[in-house]
Amino acid sequence: MNPRLRAALIAAALATITFQLVTFYVNGWPGPPAPLFVVSATVVLAAYLGTGIIAWQRHPADKIGLLFTLTGYAWFLPQLLSLHYAVPFTIANGAAFLYQGCLGHLGLAWPYGKLRGRADRIVVAVNYAWNIASPIAANLFWNPRATGCSAACPANLLLIDDSPRLYQDIGQITTLLSFPVTAAVIALIVVHWRRSRGYARRAMNALIWVSIPVAGYITVLNLADVVDLSRYNVLIYQVGPLLLAAPPVAYLAAAMTARRARGAVSSALVSMEPGPHPAKLRDALARALGDPALQLAARTAGAAAFTDTDGATVDLASLPAGRMVTPLDTPGEAVLVHDAELRHEPELIRVAAAAASLALEHARLQAEIQVQLDQVRASRARIVEAGDAERRRLERDLHDGAQQRLVTLSLAIGIARDRAAGADPDLEALLESASKEARAAIAELRELARGIHPAVLTQTGLEGAIQALVERSPVTTQVRDVPAGRFPAQVEATAYFVVSEALANVAKHAQASAAVVTVREQAGRLEVEVSDDGVGGAQAGSGSGLAGLADRVASVGGSLTVHSPPGGGTRLQAVIPCP
Amino acid sequence: MRTWPTALVVDDHEGFRAFARLILESAGFAVTEAATGAEAATAAAATSPQLVLLDIQLPDTDGFEVARRLTAAQGQPGGRGQPGPVIVLTSTREASDYGGRIAASPAAGFLPKDQLSARALRGYLDGGGLNGEPA
Repeated sequence: MNPRLRAALIAAALATITFQLVTFYVNGWPGPPAPLFVVSATVVLAAYLGTGIIAWQRHPADKIGLLFTLTGYAWFLPQLLSLHYAVPFTIANGAAFLYQGCLGHLGLAWPYGKLRGRADRIVVAVNYAWNIASPIAANLFWNPRATGCSAACPANLLLIDDSPRLYQDIGQITTLLSFPVTAAVIALIVVHWRRSRGYARRAMNALIWVSIPVAGYITVLNLADVVDLSRYNVLIYQVGPLLLAAPPVAYLAAAMTARRARGAVSSALVSMEPGPHPAKLRDALARALGDPALQLAARTAGAAAFTDTDGATVDLASLPAGRMVTPLDTPGEAVLVHDAELRHEPELIRVAAAAASLALEHARLQAEIQVQLDQVRASRARIVEAGDAERRRLERDLHDGAQQRLVTLSLAIGIARDRAAGADPDLEALLESASKEARAAIAELRELARGIHPAVLTQTGLEGAIQALVERSPVTTQVRDVPAGRFPAQVEATAYFVVSEALANVAKHAQASAAVVTVREQAGRLEVEVSDDGVGGAQAGSGSGLAGLADRVASVGGSLTVHSPPGGGTRLQAVIPCP
Repeated sequence: MRTWPTALVVDDHEGFRAFARLILESAGFAVTEAATGAEAATAAAATSPQLVLLDIQLPDTDGFEVARRLTAAQGQPGGRGQPGPVIVLTSTREASDYGGRIAASPAAGFLPKDQLSARALRGYLDGGGLNGEPA
């Protein structure tokens, strides 16, 4: 808003309020009005003029500020009655109900100062015309000096014919016809309210609450003209005007709500976890902006269409009526699609867009980190898998190569020994010892190969492999519940190494008398448990075999826990995802 | 001493086949050799061996599969009609490396390669001992 215009408006408002007070007390005719009325009239005037300036400043493009201002001055005009001169006296009488015309306009143009359609314009025009014409028509026939007003009464410049009867009849008829005009205004307000959606709904709710006292008061004023309500004169004419301050008060309250909504946007986002999922961000913004249909849509690089947080395609070129787009300041393309009424709250949208940009950027960075983490996890799994494959190959090569040759050699020695038998005892003894050596070499190589990779695991799966482990274990070990089926090689190998390492630890450290191995397949994962009744106190610290085992389990996305209180035995549990 | 006219040695390792042939021939067998599962099927159909010494690891398939095919083609050993061969599986590995697969196969037994001898094979044939692993 232009600072000069603002200064002029403020100066005019202050001058008018002062002027009104001065006329009441200095020029007051036929004596100062009742103090209660002075308070009511001043409050109403100040409320409209002040709110007009604030609204003008808040929404310079909207007409709502102008409407408040005009209503304020329209309210001021009848108070000129107190100036003891014919011109202001006549103006005050002629414009006695102008403010009611303004109030109708304000109600139908709520909340942004714009009339919505033809019906609005017609009703507003009729309402203005009626409220201007009816007092003027009545005043044409009213001679104040002839109706009880003393000689001090100023002249009515509108007077064309002194006819108390016409004056009274016109007054009665126009008053009666005022009811349907007021009813038309109220009916349209209700229609507007029922049609309002989203953000505008809040403002329209406020208007409904405001319309009740204002319309009620105007109706009572009209009724007082046709029915004798003089018992309530103080209430009607002195306190009643205060009800007219409801619209500016409601408007100011809504302005404060909008200010709070800005705070709500920030706090809604601050209270969220860092890097919220876009759907949660959308929900928070929708609540803060009072727009349940709010969409947060983004377009990935190269994609043709925007997609919202529910995965639906959003066509920005053909949005439903009443929706508008605010682009976000993010590296990727992202927009908010929101209630078009929110364009009247640019500051609110700016805050929401900034917050959404920040949160999206955060989410993007987190997604990037997640992708890297996934890549690292996948590469770790691949490395372990490649290691396993390499061990399998080594084991096979040992058997197919060196072991095979040793076996053949051993057979050859055996045949030679058999042929030497009886013929050459010395040679037979020599060949017998060579044969023993060869067999020992074969046995050692076999153990070595088994340590590199257990062939039984590849051949028969977990059940047979664990059975073989248990049979070789020096501690009495019971096997419970090993599933007979086959699993992915990585899962089998990991479970096998858990049992193998655990049983080796039992034999080496636990001083246990018994151990139990349990493997269960449950809800897409393999649960491996090895427990013993030994001394406990096992630690999964770095450098221990257990730490290496934990790494191995983690490589397939599983977890390893060790429960080993001193003196309470050891329980090793591994959970291995099993797709 | 009874003699068994035919034995089939199935192994892709030529050196082992040569020594197995020596051992078997010295025990009175007429020996045929096969290097792969496919060759084994052809040789078995041609010679109807009484004994098959069958390596578990073969280049084209494994011994369990070959044993299954041979018995399916020729009937169970000891069953009616044409008697099937007595199949002895061999490997450079130990029996325990194959878990329950050996017991589940139609083979009469298992012999680690380094323990191959005429006497051990006779254990299977003479006693008809299907479970008789040599000590």
